[in-house]
Amino acid sequence: MAEQTHFEDVKEGQELPEITITPDKQQLVKFAAGSGDFNPLHFDENFPMLKPMGLTENIVHGRFKYAQVGRAVFALAGYKGRVKNFGVSYRGMDLLNKTITVKGVITARRQEGGENLVDVDVWAEDADGKKTTPGTATVALPSRG
Amino acid sequence: MTTDTEFQITDEMKAQIGVESEPWEYEVTTTSVRMYARGIASEDPIHYDVDFAKSQGFRSIVAPLGYVGTPVYLPGKTDPTFGFPRREGGPRLNIPFKGLLDGGTETEYFDVICAGDVLVETSHLADLKLRDRPGGKMLFVTNEAVYTNKATGKVVAKMRLTSIHM
Repeated sequence: MAEQTHFEDVKEGQELPEITITPDKQQLVKFAAGSGDFNPLHFDENFPMLKPMGLTENIVHGRFKYAQVGRAVFALAGYKGRVKNFGVSYRGMDLLNKTITVKGVITARRQEGGENLVDVDVWAEDADGKKTTPGTATVALPSRG
Repeated sequence: MTTDTEFQITDEMKAQIGVESEPWEYEVTTTSVRMYARGIASEDPIHYDVDFAKSQGFRSIVAPLGYVGTPVYLPGKTDPTFGFPRREGGPRLNIPFKGLLDGGTETEYFDVICAGDVLVETSHLADLKLRDRPGGKMLFVTNEAVYTNKATGKVVAKMRLTSIHM
């Protein structure tokens, strides 16, 4: 975890540090074990459902991508901040062994209910730059004051 | 794949909105948190090292975002592929479409979830939306799960899951 971010440190338009991951089969099997989602669509290249979908590679779990977005949001909040909410839509498939990059940008900073809130647009995109998993989040950051 | 352009959301389906499922326990353990953290390739010690997490002011290692515990697995009562509980009660929708996609996930947090927590989850159908698509229709089904800390009685998270039937 990088140094704690404070409310005074951030401004609208500021980009979040990127997270890049290229999930291989072992990684998706680990995620299956951790999440309890053992759908063979995600780790068995011979799974019959793949062919009708025109796929020869396994599909990355949507929730894996959600968690990657979550890593970026958690990194913004740091240990002293708190994530209020974060959500994504699954707009496109990502495939095994293809690079996924999580990016984000701060869209607003506001004080509400005694909290220092920061809104972000945050998303996962594929190797072609297509936003397959767009989302938003709000975190409460500590103040230096 | 069904392309039934005649399909409509019925009053019977709408009546299922808000119907609560029976509760189910979700366990958050040091092992399950570490396993999930490994699954998402996080190397943040806050998810692995109990002493470090405590030094940062947490009760124990912290659940990564998106992880709200593992539902207690009971053979015959739990889906063997997806691990989610097959409960009595709760909404029952007669959806004619065979295609199914994961539409989205959204979590609202009211507290940090840490290893050692036992969460009691109930879920309900929160929303139904029907949209046109080329050759047919798509039904968006949103379920909301509410997670309550068993020890404190406090709601710690609400997770909304949207599935797309088409």
